[in-house]
Amino acid sequence: MRKRIIFHIDVNSAYLSWEAVYRLQQGDSLDLRTVPSVVGGDPLTRHGIVLAKSIPAKKYNIKTGEGLYSALAKCPELIIVKPNYYLFRRCSEALGNILKEYSPLVQQFSVDEYFLDYTAMEKLLGDPIDTAYKIKDRIKSELGFTVNIGISTNKLLAKMASELQKPDKVHTLFPEEIPDKMWPLPVEELFMVGRATSRKLLARNIKTIGDLAHTDPRLLKAMLKSHGILIWNYAQGQENSPVHPGSRIEVKGMGNSTTIPFDVDNRREAYLVLLSLIETVSARLRNGGYLAQLVSVSLKTNEFLSYSHQRKLYQPTDCTNEIWEIACELFDEAWKGQPLRHLGVRVSELCHNDFYQPTFLGKDYAKERKVDRAIDEIRERFGAQAIVRSAYLHSGLRAITGGVIAEEEYPMMTSLL
Amino acid sequence: MKVIMQPIEMVARFNEEGIPRPVKFKARFEDIPVVIVIDKILLKSEEKLAGNPMLIFRCQSIIDGVLKVYELKYELHTCKWFLYKM
Repeated sequence: MRKRIIFHIDVNSAYLSWEAVYRLQQGDSLDLRTVPSVVGGDPLTRHGIVLAKSIPAKKYNIKTGEGLYSALAKCPELIIVKPNYYLFRRCSEALGNILKEYSPLVQQFSVDEYFLDYTAMEKLLGDPIDTAYKIKDRIKSELGFTVNIGISTNKLLAKMASELQKPDKVHTLFPEEIPDKMWPLPVEELFMVGRATSRKLLARNIKTIGDLAHTDPRLLKAMLKSHGILIWNYAQGQENSPVHPGSRIEVKGMGNSTTIPFDVDNRREAYLVLLSLIETVSARLRNGGYLAQLVSVSLKTNEFLSYSHQRKLYQPTDCTNEIWEIACELFDEAWKGQPLRHLGVRVSELCHNDFYQPTFLGKDYAKERKVDRAIDEIRERFGAQAIVRSAYLHSGLRAITGGVIAEEEYPMMTSLL
Repeated sequence: MKVIMQPIEMVARFNEEGIPRPVKFKARFEDIPVVIVIDKILLKSEEKLAGNPMLIFRCQSIIDGVLKVYELKYELHTCKWFLYKM
């Protein structure tokens, strides 16, 4: 088989550069990329986390994922910008449209990452490295933001290559370059090696990707099960998944969670928060044509102790009230009365809703499912806030929580190449 | 030219192809509304920064006896006109 050529295109601090370019286009004189700034949360309430940071913000040791409060403590003049997911999706689409001019096989990997299969395209468009530079410069001049492009023979190496040095660069990482370019990197830089895995590897003195590649795979399998074999293969640069055109991958579960601005210490409020989360989760279930067979609830206390509880269902469901009743039972079983900071609900073991099997025993939800359908239609036509439950009146809680763009698909992060 | 980016009231003509041609507009200078008739369109270009397509018209008019060159922007998503630079 001939050698494949895969590009990985990654937008440099995506959310922040998109917001910066948009503001410049709208006549703002300040380029957010040149001052300490972050995208995330709400600038007024200072509630939320850092989703993306500018390079000057990096100098203040602000990390993606940390709370806005601690980020402001590190840099008081930090500019905080609210995320605008419509803008992000539009930028992402515009990027995809440019890439589709260079190959028919373009895969959206997340909102700011694309894979492009350039195999055999060199006959039409010339040398891959020259084309990568052309694509990079064209995106910069037409769309106004910078990207990194990684080139290699498979998706994993292409992705590793685009992470090498930022911003606005083209890197290659062909198999013969692995010992020089990839093996000296710390092991947590490898795709699929996260906090938990790197801790285990470091405890066994595996510090770099090269160390991992030279470890006996049987040892890794004993330590990390099949994941050990996966990351060992990745450390060798072995991976062979194709570039899937489009971005859809099968949904395995849906979840929603929120950090509450105050500590919840009574059952009634916790139930209401759960319901507001389930409103969006169950609407997504119905919208996707799924039924859930498992419900799980997770809690985090004010001391950041977290635990969760789950239950399998005898009959699959997509009914808001039914999921809520189960979630409340789970909550009662799990909660030991501590003040709560964070609540989450997750449904999984999804199946298609081509037919729905009600049970003879227990409550009949047929009417409530009809109500759900009516509410979904009202919200679709008149907006999510058009109809809300009266229990939220004067409660200070939001009737519907979570979701980026509730009504449409928004490409999210995934670990599947 | 200085960046102004002021939303303006616009009279424009759209041809059969849907391509707009600005005719005259009302802008505010120090809060005084001024109507400016476009004498000549010098250049038309397109930009799609941040995936947001906009048409840019470089135009000239005689304002208070002085020939001035300025740029207008038309944002396709919102159908808004702006006095971009003057």
